[in-house]
Amino acid sequence: MDLYFQRLRGGLVYLFLITAAFLSIFPFLWMVLGATNTSADISRGKFGLGGALFDNIVSFLAFADVPLILWNSLKIALLTTLFTLAVASIAGYGFEIFRSRLRDRLYRVLLLTLMIPFAALMIPLFIMMGKLHLINTHWAVILPSIGSAFIIFYFRQSTKAFPLELRDAARVDGLKEWQIFLLIYVPVMRSTYAAAFVIVFMTAWNNYLWPLIVLQSNDTKTITLVVSSIASAYYPDYGAVMVSAILATLPTLIVFFLMQRQFVQGMLGSVK
Amino acid sequence: MSELSLRQVSKSFGTLKVIKDVDLEIEQGAFTVFVGPSGCGKSTLLRMIAGLEDITSGDLEIGGARMNDTDPSKRGIAMVFQSYALYPHMSVRQNMGFALRFAGVPKAQIDRQVMDAARILELEPLLERKPGQLSGGQRQRVAIGRAIVRHPKVFLFDEPLSNLDAELRVHMRIEIAKLHKRLGATVIYVTHDQVEAMTLADKIVVLRAGRIEQTGTPLELYTDPDNQFVAGFIGSPKMNFLPARVAGGGDGQGGPAVTLEDFGVTVPVTGLKNLPAPGTRITVGIRPEKFNEQGDQGLSVAIEMVEHLGSETLVHGRGSGDLITVKYPGISAIDDGRLDARFNAGDLLYFTEGGERIR
Ligand SMILES: Nc1ncnc2c1ncn2[C@@H]1O[C@H](COP(=O)(O)OP(=O)(O)OP(=O)(O)O)[C@@H](O)[C@H]1O
Ligand SMILES: [Mg+2]
Repeated sequence: MDLYFQRLRGGLVYLFLITAAFLSIFPFLWMVLGATNTSADISRGKFGLGGALFDNIVSFLAFADVPLILWNSLKIALLTTLFTLAVASIAGYGFEIFRSRLRDRLYRVLLLTLMIPFAALMIPLFIMMGKLHLINTHWAVILPSIGSAFIIFYFRQSTKAFPLELRDAARVDGLKEWQIFLLIYVPVMRSTYAAAFVIVFMTAWNNYLWPLIVLQSNDTKTITLVVSSIASAYYPDYGAVMVSAILATLPTLIVFFLMQRQFVQGMLGSVK
Repeated sequence: MSELSLRQVSKSFGTLKVIKDVDLEIEQGAFTVFVGPSGCGKSTLLRMIAGLEDITSGDLEIGGARMNDTDPSKRGIAMVFQSYALYPHMSVRQNMGFALRFAGVPKAQIDRQVMDAARILELEPLLERKPGQLSGGQRQRVAIGRAIVRHPKVFLFDEPLSNLDAELRVHMRIEIAKLHKRLGATVIYVTHDQVEAMTLADKIVVLRAGRIEQTGTPLELYTDPDNQFVAGFIGSPKMNFLPARVAGGGDGQGGPAVTLEDFGVTVPVTGLKNLPAPGTRITVGIRPEKFNEQGDQGLSVAIEMVEHLGSETLVHGRGSGDLITVKYPGISAIDDGRLDARFNAGDLLYFTEGGERIR
């Protein structure tokens, strides 16, 4: 009887997982199949391989300077990630390791900023960027996202698992504070960094609203902007939309699969 | 010559004073052990010596030079941590050579010193491994190796064996003792394990609440404690403390005597110059192992529990007050009922109600 229930439970679990997996993969599959069909077929809801892949690619390439657009996205995502990781890890480490009277108050203020919706910041930020003469440059996209309270929070939490005795040992070994950070903390916490890399890179790559506001000329635009502008054309070419969507999704997939192991480890905690 | 000295050293965390006016001289080559209950400030004191905590007031000298504000790496100390604190991303070899690299020692010499230390600790086959691939005992040896490599004037150990299982702990304890003999190094060692303290130390420093209660060789502390705290802290099982009252000049012979109130027994006192006036409440201490069948005095103990350990027998029982422990060597037939626990009056220690020893 027990065995029977166990099997039933196992079966149900699998059924659930299969459904969930199908639900997550279906849009992806739709996108890939759509890229091979004509716009008309896609509109009719055709689900199957078509022969229009090449045409779709051509019309997508005609729509925008694709290599430049990809390069813009990549540049923005990588620089954002690099700066965010540097700033947030130093801040998280500092918040956790160094005691001071103001520390916890400051930290609370920082966490409060998580509750301000981006929409409320958009206009002041835009004015700020205008005064700095950064509108229509990539710095306008990169700078506001660097001081990420969430990533600082994530690093502070992860730093709780960083053994303080390692710091003591390094001090006895003659390392200065910045050397302790670079030579001990960073390598020890590398899976935390990897997880943060995945999160920040994906967010930066997929970022849409803010780039839409500050990037105005075609040569500064990112892939997400291009996808949406193809999709919102008067007569959208759905084939080209699908091709662009694939291109927009690929890098995050690659990053995730490359760093999957470290990502999971980082989420579980760097130090065991 | 004194290798390390602390003069009126204090430490406060905010308004909390955790180390209070500590004076201590440590001779070159001596193995000094700090013991004391949890939270008494052992680690803090050690970390102050290492330079990992600031010294609030007082002076620290190492090798004759004042070191209060010197960087930890320049004090001539090396430290072994409770969690070993090996750098997980470096091989054993890199871990051991790391400090020398930062001191600007030439590579060839680093290699030589690392190999020497590895040979002493039998770490040669493990040099290329990462700490994660080592057992607890091996990590411990690497941590010690990392300290040895630097040829420090003073080794500092903070409870280095507390993460090991009992068997390995005994083994490493012996290793550390051998190593000390071999290197002739000055060692300061923090533990709250008495056996470690008694077996390793040339000198034990007993700390309580940030103050030194007594300093002395293990046997001095055992046989001649300055106060009730040290008497109770050193020795296992713990010394028995019995409430007593100085008797009014009379056990019939008119000599000085005390009455053990829980047992209604009056015991003659010899050789004390400072016994308080008759009627004063005092505390009498007797170690469990001082009870023996030939004793000239006896306590009638109602047995509550007997522990047969084979090598010894522990009898727990009481008169009218608190539980006391009696320890007999070997296997004993004692089981139940009452025990006439005999002892010699000369083996008693006397303490004032405030816990000071009466001599
Ligand atoms: N950074 C700190 N800030 C405030 N108080 C501290 C700090 N470090 C230690 N203390 C306090 O100082 C006292 C001594 O601590 P310490 O760690 O030296 O004790 P210990 O004797 O090593 O104890 P244990 O045997 O448990 O290791 C404790 O009361 C502790 O709470
Ligand atoms: Mg401690």
